[in-house]
Amino acid sequence: MIGYICKYTPVEIIEAFGEEPVRLDPGYKSHERAEALIHSNICSFAKGVLENIIENNIEEVILTACCDSIRRLYDVLIDKVKFIYLLDLPRKKDPLAINLFYNEIIEFIEAYQAFKNKNFAEENLLKIVESKFFNKEKYTESIAILGARLKDDVIEKIINSCTASVINFTCTGEERVFNIEARDNLLKSYAESLLNLTPCMRMAEDRSKLINKEFKGIIYNTIKFCDFYSYEYAELKSKTDLPLLKIETDYNDSNSGQILTRIDAFLESTGIKKMEKQKAKKGYFVGVDSGSTSTNVVIIDENKNIISYSIIPTGPKALESAYKAFEIALNSAGLQEKDITSVVATGYGRISIPFADRIVTELTCHGKGAFFIDNTVRTVIDIGGQDSKVIRLDDSGNVIDFVMNDKCSAGTGRFLEVMARTLGISIEEMAKVHKEVKENITITSMCTVFAESEVISLIAQNKDQRDIIHALNKAVASKAVSLVDRIGRKGKYMMTGGVAKNQGVVYAIESRLGEKLIIPFEPQIIGALGAALISLEGK
Amino acid sequence: MRKGSLWGSDKMDTVKIYTNIIKDNMDRLEKVNKLINLGLTTAYYYVSFFKDRRIPKSLHYLNKYSIKSIKDSLANPQNSAWVNLFAPSEFLIAVDIKPLFIEAYSSFMSGFFIEDYLIDTAESRGMSNTLCSYHKTFIGASELNILKKPKFMMTTSTICDANIPTFKYLSKKHGVPLYIIDIPYKYSKDAVVYVKKQLLEVAEKLGEVFNRKLDTDKLREAVKTENKTRALMREYLNYAGEKRFIPTMTFEMYMLFASHVFIGSKEVLHFYDMLVEDIKRAPERSGKSIFFIHLLPIFEKNFKDYFNFSDKFHIAGSDLNYDFLDEIDENDPFKGIAEKLILNSFNGEINRKVARIKELIEKIKPDGIIQFCHLGCKQSMGGTFIIKNLASELGIPFLYLDGDCVDKRNNQEGQNRTRLEAFLEML
Ligand code: SF4
Ligand code: SF4
Ligand code: SF4
Repeated sequence: MIGYICKYTPVEIIEAFGEEPVRLDPGYKSHERAEALIHSNICSFAKGVLENIIENNIEEVILTACCDSIRRLYDVLIDKVKFIYLLDLPRKKDPLAINLFYNEIIEFIEAYQAFKNKNFAEENLLKIVESKFFNKEKYTESIAILGARLKDDVIEKIINSCTASVINFTCTGEERVFNIEARDNLLKSYAESLLNLTPCMRMAEDRSKLINKEFKGIIYNTIKFCDFYSYEYAELKSKTDLPLLKIETDYNDSNSGQILTRIDAFLESTGIKKMEKQKAKKGYFVGVDSGSTSTNVVIIDENKNIISYSIIPTGPKALESAYKAFEIALNSAGLQEKDITSVVATGYGRISIPFADRIVTELTCHGKGAFFIDNTVRTVIDIGGQDSKVIRLDDSGNVIDFVMNDKCSAGTGRFLEVMARTLGISIEEMAKVHKEVKENITITSMCTVFAESEVISLIAQNKDQRDIIHALNKAVASKAVSLVDRIGRKGKYMMTGGVAKNQGVVYAIESRLGEKLIIPFEPQIIGALGAALISLEGK
Repeated sequence: MRKGSLWGSDKMDTVKIYTNIIKDNMDRLEKVNKLINLGLTTAYYYVSFFKDRRIPKSLHYLNKYSIKSIKDSLANPQNSAWVNLFAPSEFLIAVDIKPLFIEAYSSFMSGFFIEDYLIDTAESRGMSNTLCSYHKTFIGASELNILKKPKFMMTTSTICDANIPTFKYLSKKHGVPLYIIDIPYKYSKDAVVYVKKQLLEVAEKLGEVFNRKLDTDKLREAVKTENKTRALMREYLNYAGEKRFIPTMTFEMYMLFASHVFIGSKEVLHFYDMLVEDIKRAPERSGKSIFFIHLLPIFEKNFKDYFNFSDKFHIAGSDLNYDFLDEIDENDPFKGIAEKLILNSFNGEINRKVARIKELIEKIKPDGIIQFCHLGCKQSMGGTFIIKNLASELGIPFLYLDGDCVDKRNNQEGQNRTRLEAFLEML
């Protein structure tokens, strides 16, 4: 077995040797062994590959000179595996480039022959290549996955949960098509067809031709510390009208709940999510929003009147909290469980709620709830306990774009809580507004840990507490507005989530946006309200 | 007030006020342009008039030359090209085009304390926050149109991933022609042929864009000057181990103007001429000398405290300034330059770089080696542990620290201070 990672690897040649090429697809939570050998700030996919090779004692590896991380991975691996080859890969594909790549392939064959003590036979290659003939199917509807490599299992989940066909343009998804005519130099035409695969961002070629206007949407993946792909995303973002979802992963965690939620919400919003149709029913309808900090329940009647709601902190067991919140809401509405027609669950804990008839992502629910309260809203800024998101609605209230902060507490309720604790005051105290500012302090760090030490040093410098609070509010606002800027500004704005109850933050966001925010009467229940509405409407 | 190095001193307050004025005017492009220009002009006159005795004549000359080169390219975008540090300077010299290289521009913006604003802009347009800040700063400035578009762009694929996509992005955005020189990772005859052909295309493209034909004799002239310059560079290295010479980190970085983007010019030859004379006259080595891998963090406070105008510690050099030390074939400059590009010590397997560092260390015999791992620079930090092994083989203490050479927000000064101090105490 020989491990490889890049689609430009001459896989068929390895097969012609009678050997088994295996594409490495690591998924480690930690990279302890890898980080003992290589600096931790390189691309985490590369670290995962290293971890994988060490853990599984992989003895043979073939890499391409893809990127800085992979080139250094090669340097580190040189004396750790029995056979390793780094295939130089030109970024152009003119005849001289093809020639260069062809020579590289020949050198690889020679090196592998010597190592395996086996001979390479061209006839084998020809047979293999001919057997891999690919016929292009015509798809009516398709969704494209672009950007940096996306893990196989995520791709599979996308394929299974959407009605359109999925075209994977990343490093993990190439149909190997060979158009080998010049039999007189088989290896050379093989090299040429490899170089002619769909170009990845590493190549010099322009890739805009990959974007087909017929796509139902594009899921764009970027990986931390991978330099190649964010540029194309930036360009697409400003140019394309197609629905576009950006996900940022560190490769190994792309399978996480948060990423899958966002993908699901995206499929929902583009209308290609597989789901069962439901008929509208009579009775009472419930939405349960099982969030990481609070669990909220809303009950509405068939005329969309809010009958009751509840908000309780989410305990260590999300399910118990959901039962409890449901019960409180039932009690205050004077209803019993049998009066309820259907329940829709949303939020982080939505999957683990057995009494829910359906689950829908919090993005769709928030959009739904916000638009119901005020149909002039086009942007929802939701800042909860542990995450924040910005949702863009179209004129009919459909979610057409959104961004979420990436798994860190910067600029969330949690951030404010930590700071309140550092300041030695209650969170309510902190939420009071102080309009008069003595000194305009700026907190530069967004990371909770670093911001905390900044606050400590401000306290040490005897700065006025109100000024520090003001600075913290500004920090949260700046994070929120930068999220807004990622999808572009568009009024009117509604702010939801627990932090919307903090007047200081609301003012800070308003002054940064230069526009008033609509604050619903109870900003914490908007997700649950949306879920209840979906439960009633069945869509 | 301390004079001398432009950014090495404590003119902070003046700079800060200036920074705030620029930031407040970010939406008024013309004004920002004028302000940046004013900053550069002031810096230029500052170094011209306040000669610091501690600074050798040659470095003073280099300081002025570097600032002027940036000013010139910004002032006349129609006669300028955006390039990366490794783009072949000889061609630009031969057709008299003023290059602006990303790394230098971004350093200056960090000197003006506006890098944070530019970086945030780039990130809000979709750039990854883990991208190298030299690139993000430049892209931010270009997004805001603070940078006027040039007439041409040229980049090599070396030495890092960021080059090609940054230039592709900028070229598309501004509709400016770009030439990408793809440098193979391995050296071979075919690789030289491949690069040579691209260089011929560069010449053609330059001719087309600027409407002046590249004269091969002029190119050869630049190569000859470059060869003479490298001879002086090698001579300088003979003294680098015996003398205490480089007064601040900024100068070792300014030297990149001379060793890369402007090498082949008469001015750079003149600089190295003076440099060799100066170092001969410099005081004998004293205190501890530190050799730097790749970059020097010229804005990092701890490093500034310890290395700028210090008697105790001094800068012995950095391998980036000596990534190519051979002669270029003057008979066939296209082929010669192609070879130079492929054989750069930062291109190819790390062994090539390790061999160069080893050669330099054995010559200079520093007391310690520091690698400052610039956030996002994977080509460099990916090799840290290998360089560390080399250092321990040579018996020289080695330290690596994480931080950012441009975006000051990414420097954990407290943490780094302890580690740096402990290391220096150890020497
Ligand atoms: S980015 Fe390109 S070269 Fe790198 S692994 Fe993916 S397909 Fe291969
Ligand atoms: S994800 Fe990007 S940085 Fe990582 S191995 Fe692939 S191309 Fe290289
Ligand atoms: S610091 Fe590193 S990543 Fe940044 S431009 Fe230089 S080589 Fe590239």
